[in-house]
Amino acid sequence: MEPLVVGAVAYTPNVVPIWEGIRDYYRTAPVEMDFVLFSNYGRQVDALLSGTIDIAWNTNLAWVRTVLQSGGRARALAMRDTDLTFRSHLVCRAGAGLHGPGDLKGRRLALGSRDSAQAAILPLHYLRREGITDGDVQLLRIDTDLGKHGDTGGSELDAIRAVLDGDADAAAIGITTWESIGRNELMPDALEMFWTSPAYCHCNFTALDTLDTARADAWTTHLLAMDWNNPEHRRILELEGLTRWVRPQLDGYTDLFQAVKEQEIAPRWL
Amino acid sequence: MAVILDLVEKLSVTAEGDTITLPITTPGQAALAASWCQRTGNTLITADATSITVRRGRPPDPITDLPPARRPGARLWLYTNFDCNLACDYCCARSSPQTARRALGVDRVKEIAKAAPAAGVLEILLTGGEPFILPDLDQIVTACTAALPTTLLTNGMLFRGHRLQILQAMPRDRLTLQISLDSATPDLHDSHRGKGTWTKAVAGIRIALGEGFTVRVAATLTTDGQHEERELRSFLDSLGITRENQVVRPLAHQGVADEGVELTVQTLIPEVTITADGVYWHPVGADNAEQLVTRDIFPLDAAIELVREQYRSHRNTADSAARAFPCA
Repeated sequence: MEPLVVGAVAYTPNVVPIWEGIRDYYRTAPVEMDFVLFSNYGRQVDALLSGTIDIAWNTNLAWVRTVLQSGGRARALAMRDTDLTFRSHLVCRAGAGLHGPGDLKGRRLALGSRDSAQAAILPLHYLRREGITDGDVQLLRIDTDLGKHGDTGGSELDAIRAVLDGDADAAAIGITTWESIGRNELMPDALEMFWTSPAYCHCNFTALDTLDTARADAWTTHLLAMDWNNPEHRRILELEGLTRWVRPQLDGYTDLFQAVKEQEIAPRWL
Repeated sequence: MAVILDLVEKLSVTAEGDTITLPITTPGQAALAASWCQRTGNTLITADATSITVRRGRPPDPITDLPPARRPGARLWLYTNFDCNLACDYCCARSSPQTARRALGVDRVKEIAKAAPAAGVLEILLTGGEPFILPDLDQIVTACTAALPTTLLTNGMLFRGHRLQILQAMPRDRLTLQISLDSATPDLHDSHRGKGTWTKAVAGIRIALGEGFTVRVAATLTTDGQHEERELRSFLDSLGITRENQVVRPLAHQGVADEGVELTVQTLIPEVTITADGVYWHPVGADNAEQLVTRDIFPLDAAIELVREQYRSHRNTADSAARAFPCA
């Protein structure tokens, strides 16, 4: 039987060994898989909708766009445990005197790429929920990795640089970027985090309802069987940034659906 | 902070194991980079006043890539004395009748043998000069074989009188005698080791076999002597030396040898070697100060671990250099 074809976005060359490892893991599975790499999520969602690929490793925005474009015929198969508790942070220079979203009024906020849920779309959504409306904050948008939904982290690093350089008073970043720079523990006098968003979901494996259910379930069951205590599995899990694969919790996308609607973000990226 | 942002950005597109070099302007940035690497599982390889070089990920342990029997410390060499009844012209240890005795001594050998199994040693190898010169060789061999399988290197020329009695008293089951023989006929062997030595060595091999010992024969071949190997192996077959006990090795450019393979700590997988002077990288360098690792033999496990650490360092440095300067 033909292997299932999984799509993923090559936001760094380092994704290649991850997907080669996952593909090799499926060589002993009831259903095998191969993978295809895309340069951006727009083309990947197109490929899923057209049937070029069977499953897409989607960001949360790519999931939302797939649902919207397919008329709700999308199905999430699995996600990382770390995708369940993703958050965004607002950071500023240490001692800047910012203590919450309300302190941003009249100040400059650096956002990551406009298609990044964690560094642009959801921070704006949550700020509006906190009563910060358009015009209250001067936005500095840094669109350095458009198409990759913020996966590179590059726009978030640039947003931090803008704060350090005095071009912005605060920056919106995802928790992975905050962790990668050592939070505020390596240089406590440089940056501080003054607000954390509610938790939301990030990536998931997305299929359409046209994918044979038995094959999709067999593929998912094998994925969920990856074991942190198995050294070969662990190598892959560490590279992909999780300790175990879990079933999706779709409630974690509710805020993003609302944000896409209120910010009038197009269902399809051109 | 800028150095951390740069590290995150550059390493995110760097393959595991590859390195990047970034400019720095203050020592504090190097310290910050070191802290960041420690926290994130990356490796600061070098840092100076103007730049840092960072490897993505932790370096692999080169020792785990080696078969267990070749890992540093698996084979433990003991130079029992250094003085010798022969003056071979390629001796890596500069041994000869004129060489002063530098004996490890029974007490130290006993202490080493006792500690060796727990330190990960799988086999002890005793070499001289010529160990059979020592009056207390029987005690040395007894101590070693009580602890681990042991190989005793000898030129096989002294098996008579009291020394023959010492040989006969040695255990057969945990001891291998390794006797040196460089050729199937006397000329080549005698040209390096002295006239008449081939005949005596062959007689020694026959005595050892007759006494029921496992005998390994080791030949040292110069570049000119490589054609001798086939004849030598046939001759050793005729003596009853099994092929797995026929060892042919190239001449090392060490000691008094004028030629041979260049061997350094950078190019040799270490075989921990203990002499009266300290712990050395490899038996071919036991008379070479550049291969001295430490003068502290004890605690033995610490000495062996020091060799392992230096091996890891050499290998990882070499790997990093190879990655940093790929040939286009």
